Amino acid sequence: MNEKYWNPIFSGFLLGTVLFIAYAVAGQGIGASGAFARVTAQLTYLVDPNFATNAYAGKYLRSGNALGNWIVVEVVGVMIGGYISAAFSGRIHQSVDRGDDYPVSKRLMFAFLGGILVAFATRLTRGCTSGQALSGAGGFSVGAWIFMLSAFGAGMLLSPFFKNQWKGV
Amino acid sequence: MDWILPLFTTGQIANNLNLFIGLFIGIGFGFILEKAGFGTSRHIASVFYFSKLVVTQTMISAIVTAATWVVVFSYFGWMDFSHVFIPITYVWPYLFGGMVFGAGMIMSGWCPGTVLVGVSTGKIDAFVFVAGMLVGMFTYFQTYQYFEAFANSGNLGRFTIDKLVGGNMFTSSYLVTVILAIGLGVFMNVMKNIIDKKRVKGV
Repeated sequence: MNEKYWNPIFSGFLLGTVLFIAYAVAGQGIGASGAFARVTAQLTYLVDPNFATNAYAGKYLRSGNALGNWIVVEVVGVMIGGYISAAFSGRIHQSVDRGDDYPVSKRLMFAFLGGILVAFATRLTRGCTSGQALSGAGGFSVGAWIFMLSAFGAGMLLSPFFKNQWKGV
Repeated sequence: MDWILPLFTTGQIANNLNLFIGLFIGIGFGFILEKAGFGTSRHIASVFYFSKLVVTQTMISAIVTAATWVVVFSYFGWMDFSHVFIPITYVWPYLFGGMVFGAGMIMSGWCPGTVLVGVSTGKIDAFVFVAGMLVGMFTYFQTYQYFEAFANSGNLGRFTIDKLVGGNMFTSSYLVTVILAIGLGVFMNVMKNIIDKKRVKGV
């Protein structure tokens, strides 16, 4: 029973309203990449306590726990919310999403490499499509538009190289 | 009036309550992302081929909606937007980092927000992307000294549209945001029509 997706204008209205509630209550937008940075910092710190003096990640570890932050709690919420919605709509199943007939091993290799690039980039851009593009643009930031147009532009220019991976999408 | 938004950064609610509400803000965000179709890498990738417009249309609608609420609440004095954190604009790292981000997105079909939904709904490619992200974060932490100067170049501070073109939040900032959003939507639509015609011809 695969329920249909919502109308995008309607989803966007609700998404924008939740984003505004985040501005109104927490005084910040909704992010994601920061939580991954904090999880990485915490894991590294558990293995090597000297990591607390790292030039970049040291700021996360000042309190001794990089995970004690609003964005980490919010990201846990995003996972719960996504699960609830998918469960109601009958959309929870293990799969490797890719273009028609694309080999799984190559698909997973590109998912991994893409993850490395995306994570590295978010540290330069102080956020991702959520925390920088959406949350910044909703608050009139020029930087958010620089990031968004640059990211979408690069993705479009490089898309011919990945057309087999995404055949039929 | 004895209250003003935002509540937390003006000291009107305690940290624990802010975190508690943050959990529900996250749940709402994740629920809507999934319902909007952001839970599969196929939909994210489709943006770059102009085959489906769902992702960009949702983003455009969300940006305009949030900006509208901000303008309305600020106009009536219910919100002091200077207490809302907006990322600082760093021109060069955003331009270059944006390109690297876009390359990673077309490669993987994920971004850090949508992948959370992918993970919680069982997508294997989402788990692998997350593993890659941990490696990418670690690499940045360990090589930061080489990027520090570049990462902080082109710092314009809290740089909103009115600071670039004049006017204020209610005039230029709001207007330009709406124009950019609609412009992006029209561009996507035009490109989709052109490419759909090619697809029919089998080019």
